[in-house]
Amino acid sequence: MKKLVAMIIVLILAVSLCVSLVACEKEKGIVIHVLENDTAKKEGYLDVLLAAFNDKYKDQNVTAVDANMDEYSDLEKDGPYGFGPDVLYQANDILMKYVEGKHILPINIQQLDCYKQVPQNAWDAYKATVDGKTVYCGVPVNVQQPLLYYRKDMLPANWQTEYDKNSNGIPDMVEFWTEMYAYSKNIREQDSSKFGFALNLTNEYFNSGFLFSYGAYVFGDNNTNDKDIGMNVGNAKLGGKIIWDLAGIMDLKCADDSFTNSRTTMLAQGTIFANICTPDITSQFLKELAAEYKKQGLSEAEAVKKANENLVITTLPKLPKDGDITVRQDVTDESLWIAQKTMGGINGYGISSYAKDREWSLKFVEFATSAEMIAKRQEMLGVVPARADVVALSDNEATKITFSNLDDGTLVVMPSISSVRTIWSPISSCFKTIATDGCKDKKFTINDIQSELDKMVQNIKNQLTILQ
Amino acid sequence: MDKTVKKQNIFVKTGNFFKKKFADIKAFFKRAGRETYASMALMGMGQILNGQYIKGLVFFLLEAAFVAYFATVGVADFIGFFTLGTVKGDAWLGIEGDDSVIMLLRGIVAWFAIAILVVLYFANLKDANKYAEIKGLKAMPSFKDDLTTLLNKNFYKVALILPIVGVLVFNVFPIVFMILIAFTNYGTVVPPELVDWSVKDSFGKLVALGELSQTFFKILGWNLLWAVVSTFANYFLGLGLALLYNKKCVKGKAIWRAFPILAYAVPGFITLLAFKFMFSNGGPINNMIVSNGGQIVDFLGVNSKWMARGIGFFVNAWLSVPSIMLLATGILTNINGDLYEAAKIDGANKLVQFRKITLPFVIFSTTPVLISQFIGNFNNFGVFYFLRSGMVSDGYVAASDTDLLINWLYRLSIDNNYYAVGAAISLIIFIITSVLSLIVYVRSSSYKKEDTFR
Repeated sequence: MKKLVAMIIVLILAVSLCVSLVACEKEKGIVIHVLENDTAKKEGYLDVLLAAFNDKYKDQNVTAVDANMDEYSDLEKDGPYGFGPDVLYQANDILMKYVEGKHILPINIQQLDCYKQVPQNAWDAYKATVDGKTVYCGVPVNVQQPLLYYRKDMLPANWQTEYDKNSNGIPDMVEFWTEMYAYSKNIREQDSSKFGFALNLTNEYFNSGFLFSYGAYVFGDNNTNDKDIGMNVGNAKLGGKIIWDLAGIMDLKCADDSFTNSRTTMLAQGTIFANICTPDITSQFLKELAAEYKKQGLSEAEAVKKANENLVITTLPKLPKDGDITVRQDVTDESLWIAQKTMGGINGYGISSYAKDREWSLKFVEFATSAEMIAKRQEMLGVVPARADVVALSDNEATKITFSNLDDGTLVVMPSISSVRTIWSPISSCFKTIATDGCKDKKFTINDIQSELDKMVQNIKNQLTILQ
Repeated sequence: MDKTVKKQNIFVKTGNFFKKKFADIKAFFKRAGRETYASMALMGMGQILNGQYIKGLVFFLLEAAFVAYFATVGVADFIGFFTLGTVKGDAWLGIEGDDSVIMLLRGIVAWFAIAILVVLYFANLKDANKYAEIKGLKAMPSFKDDLTTLLNKNFYKVALILPIVGVLVFNVFPIVFMILIAFTNYGTVVPPELVDWSVKDSFGKLVALGELSQTFFKILGWNLLWAVVSTFANYFLGLGLALLYNKKCVKGKAIWRAFPILAYAVPGFITLLAFKFMFSNGGPINNMIVSNGGQIVDFLGVNSKWMARGIGFFVNAWLSVPSIMLLATGILTNINGDLYEAAKIDGANKLVQFRKITLPFVIFSTTPVLISQFIGNFNNFGVFYFLRSGMVSDGYVAASDTDLLINWLYRLSIDNNYYAVGAAISLIIFIITSVLSLIVYVRSSSYKKEDTFR
């Protein structure tokens, strides 16, 4: 009898525990797990975003939370088993590699509030053809583009007379690559430990633009056809020659990541005059420069002010139409110049196909891409928004440049198809070979450069066709 | 001649072995009584007929559990192992579909279950037969008695069960999984697409496709050279250091010895990153060269194949010589000093003493270590991953001229998702390293003359 009673009690306890657990689960309501990038977390933007969303919908039984995962966790591996985030923020190439396996959802973008504000080029980064239908699988948030960083206080004293031939008040060396080349060469000749323009020439992201400017492209049919690799077509070799020439005004440090690792310090110490970089490093440049000024005896506030004044961020210089940056040309004749194209990326939100609640996930994306939140994001993170209305309100010059570049196609958005993962190391190796020769042996002819580009394309093809 | 005799022996041996087994089985059935046949029909029945009710019940429950497993998921899993899925998933429409990789995993579990069931089944037959034979002659051990023997006489079985299960789950299972992946097209297709069994997508590609097989053999050649040279270099450098520090004339041994130990104590990848920085074009070494009026040396650049390889040897020595030195130091203290004295009296010079006494003794004690060093070097992922990664060299597919097989494997399977090819390469690595180390070990004196120095 005693035993029976004990058994019944245990049973009751167990059942009530189960019931309470289930109840607990129900009480929580809908939870949206949001994966943001680390910078947004660190700078506190994610908290602001989540708080704003939760505040707006506080009586709707829905909460958005930090997914608390690694920035680059793989949805393809986590999602199907229920461990992935519901909403994720990624660069377009990363987000779109999930489309093939249908791991992220297509979004009906026309109904979104931001639809008209985001340029078509940005939407295209999230366009894909699945089962014969065109779908959009992401919502653009910001635009990433390499820009030119230089120090105003390192300009020659006589730049207004010597280096402003088109008299528009902007130094020619930051407007035209030929002038930049000439000025850099000049600096090197005076002091071989100093550089004018310096860049890691093996960086595939920053340097592919030289090839693009002369007709190259990554994949055919608007970066969607991986059977057609166009990094060696047209006059792409002229772009390769420019990399080779630029290597000549640097030293072998351009052929590995030496310039990348120490670019902020070198710019601050005046070892280099100009560098190409993405806006997310701006704050580091400013910090180093201010620290340097402080060392020279300025007060904290003065140093910061001076750093902000002297660090100029601008669009990339123009390239000569004939591709020869070693010869100075008439800068007043517009017909001799072309704008430099650059590779860029569009970061945005996608919704996981495994999201527990698709409707609310979409609502979250809509909220996070509203003008108000995008403006807040720009303010807190210093990124270039993909919304025209937010850009229009901004007084930041670099933001406007990047946005207009996106609009007119000077910014080439990196491909979104999954094959893109195979292109990086062949491109980087090719640039490395060209840069190494350009500053050491100097034996390459234009035909050698062409054959290096051909090799690079062959390497990409090998990976794509042999292994696939 | 000698060989053929040996071979015959082996054949005769195996023939006899099978003959004996066959005879055993025949005898077993001859002896088998109704208890054995009862157990054959239903596990545990024989034991119950023997009067061992609890043991019989345990066997019966085990069989019931297996039947339940196979009835619910086991059979489906087993079939899934062969089909690897038939329904393609579509996350947009909420169609779950078959996940080939998971099906493969579950299929392996089903195979394991079958194997365990077979083992249990025969144990059950043997047990029923054994106790049927002694029934009436001796007292039947009760279940309690059985448990007691498990804790006393058969304690090794209890003690080993956990390690064996651990090895099965954490070693054998993943290895089997990896081996099987090498026979699929996983990577060419990735779930939710359905993976299929295929040899031409892994080994086929590796052997048949010109560029890929060229890359493979180039890397394999360099990998073998790397493993042999670096193992021997590190070994003799370590031994040399140990001998040097053992010399009576060296003053302040403790301090000198601390340096290699310090190098050893720093985590490997920090050392590697530090070396990468040291040898980079803007690094301290090049800074020194330039400030002395030289030109930057492209230590790890695209055209620096052999220089980069040399740096790899150096850095690897830096990382592993100290451990060999420590080991050798320990072993050297064990050598009987009398041996040297006797040798001296016999007129042997230092070199002969080293060759005839020190070296055999140290090699004898360290052959297993030497083998593990060889395998470690063969699969040395870190050195070139940290020093020189992300590069494609002329004539290589997705690899640079310093990459070892393991680096290539990583690049193919982790960076590019070509899992099947990656698995095929790792299988080849496994075969090479295991065959080589087995041969070396079996031929070494530490295996042949196990008792020499005891």
